[in-house]
Amino acid sequence: MAVVTIDKLTKIYDRGHAPAADNVSLDIAHGEFMVLLGPSGCGKTTTLRMIAGLESISSGTVSIDGRVVNQVPAKDRDIAMVFQSYALYPHMSVKDNLAFGLRRRSVDRAEIERRVANVAGILGLSELLGRKPHALSGGQRQRVALGRAIVRDPKVFLFDEPLSNLDAALRVSTRGEISALHRRLGATMIYVTHDQVEAMTMGTRICIMNGGRVAQVGPPLEVYRNPANTFVASFLGNPPMTLLPAIATDKAGGRCLMVGSCEIELPSSRCPPLQPGATVTFGIRPEHLAQESASNGATIPVDAEIVRVEPLGAETIVIARLPGVEKLIFARLAGEATMRIGERRQLFLDAGKAHVFDGNGLALRPA
Amino acid sequence: MAILRRSLLLLVLTLYTSFAAGPFVWAAMMSLRTTTEIHRNHFAFPNPAHWEKFPDAWFNSNYGIYFVNSLQVVVAAVVILTLIGAMAAHCLARYRFRLNRVIYFILFSTIIFPPQITIISLFQILVQYGLYNSKVGLTLVYVAIQLPLTIYILESFFARIPADLFDAARMDGYSDWEIFWRVALPIALPAVATTVILNFILLWNEFLYAVVLITDESNRTLPLGIQRFIGDTQEDVGMIATGLMIAIIPVIVVYAFFSEKLIQGMTAGAVK
Repeated sequence: MAVVTIDKLTKIYDRGHAPAADNVSLDIAHGEFMVLLGPSGCGKTTTLRMIAGLESISSGTVSIDGRVVNQVPAKDRDIAMVFQSYALYPHMSVKDNLAFGLRRRSVDRAEIERRVANVAGILGLSELLGRKPHALSGGQRQRVALGRAIVRDPKVFLFDEPLSNLDAALRVSTRGEISALHRRLGATMIYVTHDQVEAMTMGTRICIMNGGRVAQVGPPLEVYRNPANTFVASFLGNPPMTLLPAIATDKAGGRCLMVGSCEIELPSSRCPPLQPGATVTFGIRPEHLAQESASNGATIPVDAEIVRVEPLGAETIVIARLPGVEKLIFARLAGEATMRIGERRQLFLDAGKAHVFDGNGLALRPA
Repeated sequence: MAILRRSLLLLVLTLYTSFAAGPFVWAAMMSLRTTTEIHRNHFAFPNPAHWEKFPDAWFNSNYGIYFVNSLQVVVAAVVILTLIGAMAAHCLARYRFRLNRVIYFILFSTIIFPPQITIISLFQILVQYGLYNSKVGLTLVYVAIQLPLTIYILESFFARIPADLFDAARMDGYSDWEIFWRVALPIALPAVATTVILNFILLWNEFLYAVVLITDESNRTLPLGIQRFIGDTQEDVGMIATGLMIAIIPVIVVYAFFSEKLIQGMTAGAVK
């Protein structure tokens, strides 16, 4: 276990171009499972590779247990990494793949045998030790890659999108296996992914990145519930949060927004008083729209024209248009909604779960 | 229909095999016949077979010396070529540095020069360095002429090795030097085998550089030795054929040993 501290980490590949990682700062605690989440090209893998020592650092520092390791070679950082492609040595057996790192570290032969057998037992690889990687299935290769990291007993585990090459079913089970492994080892893990389901289900905390910068850090549900900006709001969630342009009015103490021709009054818990006429962004998650009004009357009825209906069995995704708004709104309705394309229906919006962002896209929170 | 298709395929294969193997079988038959017998009938079966021609060629016609010379020069050249070629190819494929592609282009562009252009200057250089008429000189020339093609073949193979493997080895604690020997080279073995066979065959049969750079009887390689039996007015065809058979043995041995890897190297990337 180890504490990993990243301070203003920056990576510039080409002068004159935008940095791949830009002033990334992050504190990762002992035994934490930190997920770096973001779209392709957001700098998450670059950040991970700088932590690993596989990429030089343009500026900033990486510290492990308080010791700055910028100049420490990858092999001496006591870090293990699981690669997206698994990176198994094709000319070696599973056993040799597992033992390769230990042999370099001059671990006693008997100890290597013991550790390899132990890890193979944990990951169900005991029967496959003599096989070469090409004779393994995708899931088995993935487990060997995991085993190669575990067998070294490192201070920090790094994962670079390790599940992206697996099929959907295997991804779910392997996700569970990695989480179980984290609980079992209690090790510090840093996990890079662009898959928000992996981030939400596995991470102790998630760090959402965009354009090389950290957009928000926090526990997954906390980030989901309270996105710091429009990027996080629209990136997390599937379908994403609907973001609509709105103008503040002078009603309800500055907490009333005109979204198209809909007037939406927000509770004081969701929004500070706004200057009348201020241009803001109104956000609402699909699950916070319903077909029926809430019994406590906290929901606001809005007229919507149904544009598309996607019945998924347990729920129905409805894509609709509010009057006077060009952008479409997503609604996740429970069960099988009986709606027809083109009809006008009333949807009920939970204003107590709505979000408001200022002109720069930053969340507005009540003081 | 299937039988017809099979028969047709068999016929094509038989014709091709006869065409390809015909000259070899003819030379093999001549190697067991005397020149007088050959002049009498070019295509007759060896009757009786003169097996004694082989020890005669080896001991009395100096084929033994030529063979050992060829073996020394070609094995040394192939070993050096393989090591330097693989290292250079790995370096050019793996590391990003200034002028990487320029160096690669310069190396590769030397392939286009015909040997006749360089041979005079090479002769002069070897004379000046005291390497003319020596096996060391010929070995170095062989390394120089085959290195660009070797690097070209190996570079494209090394470039296909995923960079993640090198990163994984670095994380496992290995240095760049160890990664080359323990990861890159074993993975590139099919391509290395391809270059070993290619270089061995090309250099084993090489004549032009050898005939210009070697004149001493004790340093002649096999192609020069065989040429010795071709005179201005007559030639000892029987002994030439025996020499050819002796010369061809190492090529067959090398091919048999590396052929599986060669096929792997040629088809690498064709399938997953």
